[in-house]
Amino acid sequence: MLRNVSLSLTGGTSVVITGPSGSGKSTLLHIIGTLEEPSNGIVEINDINPFTLSEPELAAYRNSVIGFVFQEHHLLPQYSVLENVLIPTLAFKRGADATERAVQLLKRVGLTDRQSHRPAELSGGERQRVAIARALINQPDILLCDEPTGNLDTATTDTVANLLFELHRAEKTLLIVVTHNLSLTSRFDRHLQLVDGTCTIERDG
Amino acid sequence: MPRFSWNSLKHFWQIHLTVALCTAVATGVLAGALIVGDSVRGSLRSLTTERLGAIQHALLADHFFQPDLLQRENKVPAILLNGTIVAPQTQTRASKVNIAGVTDDFFTFWQEDTAPNLDKAPEQPFNAIVINAALQNELNVQVGDMLLVNMSQAADIHPEFLLGERDAANAIQSLRLVISDIIPTENFGRFSLQANQSLPFNAFIALPVLQKALGQADKVNAVFTADTDAFSADDLELTLAALDLNIKMHENRLDLQSDQYLLKPILSETALTVASENRIPTLPTLTYLANTMTVNDNAIPYSTIIALPTGEGEFAELVNNHTTEADRLAYQQADDQGLKKIVAEKREEQKKLRSEIDKIEKEVNSLQKTKRALGDTTAYKQQVAEVKRKLAKVGSALNAINARSKPDEIHLNKWAAEDLDASVGDIIEVTYYSVSTDEAYITETALFRLKGILPIEGITADRDIIPEFPGIHDTNDMSDWESPFPIDYTLVRDKDETYWDEYGATPKAFIPLESGKRLWKNRFGDLTAIRLGTAPDTDIQATRTRFETEFLKKIQPEQVGFQFLFPQADGLQASAGATDFGMLFGSLSGFIIIAVALLVAMLFRVGVEQRSREIGILQAIGYPLAKIRRRFLYEGAAVAGIGSLLGCLLAVGYAELMIFGLQTWWLPAIGTPFMELHVNPISLLSGVLIALAVVVISIRVTVEQLGRTPTTALLAGETDFAEVTLKPQTQRVESSKLLSVAKIIAGVLVAIIFAVFVFFDEWFSDTFGIWVEDPILDFIIFTSSVIGIGWDAFSRWLKSQRIPKQFNRIRFALKNAARQPSRSKTCVTTISLACCIIVAVGANRHDAPPETEYAFVAESALPLHHSLNTPDGKFELGFSEKDTELLSESEIFPFRVLPGEDVSCLNLYQPQKPQILGAPATMLDESPWNHTRVVQPEGGRAPAIGDINSLRWILHHNPDDDFIVQDEFGKPLRLELETIENSLFQSQLILSEANFTKYFPSQSGYQFFLIKTPPELREETAQVLEKTLGDYGFDLTSASERLASYRAVENTYISTFQSLGGLGVLLGTFGLALILFRNIIERRGELATLRAFGFRRQLLSRMLFLESCFLLAVGMFIGIVAGLVAILGSQGHLPSFPWVSLTITLLFIFGFGIIANAIAVAVALRSPLLSTLKSE
Repeated sequence: MLRNVSLSLTGGTSVVITGPSGSGKSTLLHIIGTLEEPSNGIVEINDINPFTLSEPELAAYRNSVIGFVFQEHHLLPQYSVLENVLIPTLAFKRGADATERAVQLLKRVGLTDRQSHRPAELSGGERQRVAIARALINQPDILLCDEPTGNLDTATTDTVANLLFELHRAEKTLLIVVTHNLSLTSRFDRHLQLVDGTCTIERDG
Repeated sequence: MPRFSWNSLKHFWQIHLTVALCTAVATGVLAGALIVGDSVRGSLRSLTTERLGAIQHALLADHFFQPDLLQRENKVPAILLNGTIVAPQTQTRASKVNIAGVTDDFFTFWQEDTAPNLDKAPEQPFNAIVINAALQNELNVQVGDMLLVNMSQAADIHPEFLLGERDAANAIQSLRLVISDIIPTENFGRFSLQANQSLPFNAFIALPVLQKALGQADKVNAVFTADTDAFSADDLELTLAALDLNIKMHENRLDLQSDQYLLKPILSETALTVASENRIPTLPTLTYLANTMTVNDNAIPYSTIIALPTGEGEFAELVNNHTTEADRLAYQQADDQGLKKIVAEKREEQKKLRSEIDKIEKEVNSLQKTKRALGDTTAYKQQVAEVKRKLAKVGSALNAINARSKPDEIHLNKWAAEDLDASVGDIIEVTYYSVSTDEAYITETALFRLKGILPIEGITADRDIIPEFPGIHDTNDMSDWESPFPIDYTLVRDKDETYWDEYGATPKAFIPLESGKRLWKNRFGDLTAIRLGTAPDTDIQATRTRFETEFLKKIQPEQVGFQFLFPQADGLQASAGATDFGMLFGSLSGFIIIAVALLVAMLFRVGVEQRSREIGILQAIGYPLAKIRRRFLYEGAAVAGIGSLLGCLLAVGYAELMIFGLQTWWLPAIGTPFMELHVNPISLLSGVLIALAVVVISIRVTVEQLGRTPTTALLAGETDFAEVTLKPQTQRVESSKLLSVAKIIAGVLVAIIFAVFVFFDEWFSDTFGIWVEDPILDFIIFTSSVIGIGWDAFSRWLKSQRIPKQFNRIRFALKNAARQPSRSKTCVTTISLACCIIVAVGANRHDAPPETEYAFVAESALPLHHSLNTPDGKFELGFSEKDTELLSESEIFPFRVLPGEDVSCLNLYQPQKPQILGAPATMLDESPWNHTRVVQPEGGRAPAIGDINSLRWILHHNPDDDFIVQDEFGKPLRLELETIENSLFQSQLILSEANFTKYFPSQSGYQFFLIKTPPELREETAQVLEKTLGDYGFDLTSASERLASYRAVENTYISTFQSLGGLGVLLGTFGLALILFRNIIERRGELATLRAFGFRRQLLSRMLFLESCFLLAVGMFIGIVAGLVAILGSQGHLPSFPWVSLTITLLFIFGFGIIANAIAVAVALRSPLLSTLKSE
């Protein structure tokens, strides 16, 4: 699907990937997120090729290095907002209690008073904000967002986008966003466009 | 529309197939249960028709009679007896054999080509006997083998009366016969008047052969007919001879006497009434034999004494003519002095007793203190029993003192007075035999004061007034007497022989009738003859005719031992069955139906959820919601319809399987493998309709919830079933408040009921007079309450939004159960229902071998008339000295038996005429046995004991109500019941012996025994008893084996119920696995997200597995608690708990559930998850 894509990204920058449907945007994001292994080529993150790791190592790597925000927020309806944010911390046993950080993150996304609510009781924008908090709970180096505002109206899109940038700056993560929404592209440091699996750099910050 | 539906059916075939299969299971289980019930009933009906052939009606009697008395055509006479058969060649013995003396006509009741050969073979020295295959198996014999048949000897005089024959050698009639034919145990080979499914031992002998052997030429004790018209009292023309009566006719008087020596009370009462109505003068008399009459040292042996109305008629006249004034004076003086002496003695003894009574009063006072201190404990109860015993002793001593009265008057004939050298005023001591309750001869003494001396003339010389004693009356010398009671021939003097030669049995002494009755009255009667004079204006012949006609008109056949039976109709009615297997299996299938309904609802919901977009589109293009709902309902109904048709086949298969189970694994429940499949279309249809209705209703309820989600959301793929927990709850606040209040009220009510049932049941019944116990109702209330509470608590937990301090993996996994709360609740409910049944039913299983203080239960085919507890009795029964010594280590309790049907769970028919036992006084000291001690003076009501389960489940009788049976005289006898439980007496109802002999006087001897023997002597004792009493058909069973046989039935029922519970668990587990599978499919996106966050596949599997195990565990926990509470509530205590078997069963269920869950998780997680995350 992807051909001759060569990219080098540094931490703290923000990157937006655009392109028509089927151009391979999500595939690129999944490869970066180690969810999908490329048939050819190499991926190196922090000088490590994650695909050389064993399955448990890869899972642990993904858990600590990468955060995801999906178009379908995939919040778990049976858990409260706070619990949803905490879910990634359960994948591996860690010493510190993550609840405090989760509460902080929820404060930062403006959902302090919604902690005990269930996802069904939230609006679309609120749900996506929970998804962002969840993606950041383990302080990942890379935050990958697949159409994070795809299902949101314009006003909410702006709010969510602002929040994303704000947190990206605060957490100093590498932010990679795949979107159809061209109005957002100008706010990113770099803009890549994918057409038929080939990557063109539109703008390089 | 139909085409759309058809396409939908095809497209979503998987879910529809599952719904159809569930409906099929529900139909199969329910209709199958009803078919099992039909099959039991049908098989019992077939068995009734088979064992009775065309016999519709029967006339039975407890004595032999001429069949011509029955004025009916198409009657087949027969003799039916109970006996034992010994096969000398094989050294085998069978007891409880039905011995039938029949003619070839008897076999025509069955549509068989040939009757078996009952004729004596020319080359054989003995007559022929035909036996059935069951008896052949028992005896291991072949055609041509010789058999020894033992039966009770037919006797006119009751064996328990002084003159009755009890000697073992004479009481049993033995007959040597040769087997001429062996018939299969079917049709007439299975003939029995008893409604019982077990195989009878039948033996047929030619009627004349049996009549001759019994000395009852031309007489029978049974007549059968295939006519539809029942025999009735009008058809029976009684004669005096048929009632064992005879009238000796004299010139101006008639003597009415009985071949049974004593006139039965009903006959003498009727005779006196008829005589009085026709103004016929009467002279009732009671003649008895005195062993000795003694004055000072002079004694006369073996004299007849007659009791008669001394103050009237010829006797009074004779007394007047032969009593001088000096005699009168002498008698009066002696009598007065005697009276004064007695009064003084009475005072002295009463004084002594008074001090005894004072002591007891003190003890009673201290008892109240003990009760306050100790409570109602065993120690207290023992003290109460001790005081009661003392009171009873004092009471009887007091009665004895009060009863002491002055000696009765007596007249002697001249010969006796001279021989005794007796003068008027002398005390005459008379000794005589009586028969004790354990049938030993006791020598009793009575004192009389001589009032006069009479010449031997007129009435005092009349020997016709004395009934004939066979073996005595007809002998030339006293030394030739052949009496059943012991006689000391050395006491007989020459002058006694001279008297015998000259006067025969002419009485030597005369006493008032009341005195005679007081001494010698017994249950067989109180008169030996009634002399009738000539009625006014007629001659003696006309008097006789009038008396006989009127007398016979007044006697009802039922009063004199005849019974009109309707065996066919009664048998068919009894076939309705004591235990309704249909209802039994059906009611237990009830929870499976509930489980299926829940499953179907859940499956259907899943099916509809899959099609939420379709619903959205239909709504978007303008379909009204009602129409969409209808469409889904029709679709579901069609699927359920197909399923229920399939269920019909399944039902037949299920019933076949159950019947196979009952014939094999669960055989103890029915005893004999006699069952065949009977499919009643109505049952099948009922099963189909009920199951279909339940399924369609559950689909309808599901469909009603359609339309809660906006169309746009549906189009976006959201499901149409708004899960309560995922929606804002503000609008539900009001209704949930109401619901909570209702729940609290219901909870309080259930708690009150529980407390009343468990802790205050006695108080409640005492206070309100209502006994609140109905085990089934209790069970349902408690089960549903606990499951309801559990369900509610689980729902609350699922809804709970409280954030715990720790959010860890376990909570994460468990809380997953709230993802689809209704599904989780369905699973939990189904599993808890199944587990509840398994626990509640399984708790009643008795794993441990039953314990009883008795070593053996014994039954004898022929009654024993001698005590097994006394050396004399054992000697009479033929025990050697060594055996007698061995038996002295055992305590044997003999019971009298009224033959009847087994009322225990061993009998599948509903008993119409229960077997009744008469319990010996030695059994009646403890509660509840002492309840039966009371002998009601009148009113036809007697205290009795019955097993509570036999009463409730087999006789279908409320133990609080009197149970009505018929006494020997055809009158209703109301049994006032006390109940016992799990005892050796589950097959009978029990009266005290005193009441038994009162209401069933002609039943003689003992046929049921409880034996206490030290464990080390049991084997030897059993051998000795069976060997020595073999001719009586004395069969011993280990008491614990007997108890175990009852328990086996119970345990078998439990096994069948548990199998149904197992089926429920299977359905629950299937539902659980299905839910798990479905949940995983639906949650692929979420699961993929978790993978993206670094959750390993293994961790996901573990968490999903934990979630499902959690549901399984919650379901099982609620079920187990519900089961235990239900038992506690309905029985008031936990029975001895079969922890081992129950724990194994529950662990097995849990293990099975775990495996099913593991498979579901593995299968569902097999496909890749991460691809679902792509937005493109």
